[in-house]
Amino acid sequence: MDRKTPETEGRIEAVLARALAFGTWLISAVISAGLLLSFFPAGMSYGWQLVMIGIGLFVLLPITRVILMLALFAGIREYKFAAVAALVLAIIFASLVVGAVYK
Amino acid sequence: MSVGTEIWLFSVSVIASALGGMLGMASGIFIVPILTMLCHVDLRNAIGASIVSVIACSCGSAAAFLKERLTNVRLAIVLETATTAGALTGVFLVGRIPNPFLFFMFGTILLLSAWQMVARRNDPVSFRTRSLDHDSRVRELDSSYPDRELGLDIAYRVEHLPIGLVLMYVAGLISALLGIGSGVLKVPAMDTALRLPIKVSSATSNFMICVTAAASAGAYFMRGEIVAAITGPVALGSVFGAILGARLLVSISNQRIRLLFAAVLIAVAAQMFFAGFGKR
Repeated sequence: MDRKTPETEGRIEAVLARALAFGTWLISAVISAGLLLSFFPAGMSYGWQLVMIGIGLFVLLPITRVILMLALFAGIREYKFAAVAALVLAIIFASLVVGAVYK
Repeated sequence: MSVGTEIWLFSVSVIASALGGMLGMASGIFIVPILTMLCHVDLRNAIGASIVSVIACSCGSAAAFLKERLTNVRLAIVLETATTAGALTGVFLVGRIPNPFLFFMFGTILLLSAWQMVARRNDPVSFRTRSLDHDSRVRELDSSYPDRELGLDIAYRVEHLPIGLVLMYVAGLISALLGIGSGVLKVPAMDTALRLPIKVSSATSNFMICVTAAASAGAYFMRGEIVAAITGPVALGSVFGAILGARLLVSISNQRIRLLFAAVLIAVAAQMFFAGFGKR
């Protein structure tokens, strides 16, 4: 496949748009379910756990987007841009490590 | 935390995010002041809740811009190396910076936003009259976007990338420290350094915000600084508010309304400065 044509660019944009829209709705549903559960005394601790999972997924969604971009650029042999995506992933990973070990 | 508090947090977030969306700004700029001033949430917890809601809004609205073919995804991933590096620096620094200083910084950003609201943005170059044919060098970041009014594709060029990267680093740093999308700092970087058409810079900036915010939100999440009872309702409210705000965007071109909002931003900035001095 050619490296940069209206077709390849359009496909990349369509895949990213679908992933981001679907992810946002799914995670919003998870957080809504968690909040509703937390209204009831019996479901409270499960509810907050579910909300926390939803928040974690919101952090993972943009990371997934960068992984997708890495794969899509590699797929059209745009290795320079795939490498840039890998660098962004490495910086985000470093930030997570800093958060975990450095207060 | 009571059910009433959750519903209250959700509601104010809908309003804050709708306001931000109407003005074409990220929601975070209103979320932190509202949470700290009205809801008496601790500044650090407010920043944590805000940065997650920034991710939610950016991811939620990115699809529409992508479908309109306004986002330059190649430029975005290149600039994200700088914004995430800035966020990483912010994650290191945030524990060392005293709260009053953060309040002052926030107030300054609000004043800058007020100024941008009043100043009219124009396309930095007249893209419609420029021809790119004479330069045959391969410039991988250059692209084109469809202009609806003209009904044709407008080609544009990415200028001064190194200066753009430096400004994006600063935007990422401020984003991590204050829990905002930092659109207010990305706009000048894209207008004056990279010289992009306004529609392209808005779409590309929005696309980048979620990745920048994920770097700092991830670190705050790992540190345990994200409180589910605050962040959950705020993030959910922001998503709804952003959808609402995008619908209302049409009616906000009026200059008088922009002046009104600039006045609101200045008032909120004054509040943040007072908070910095320890007076509430």
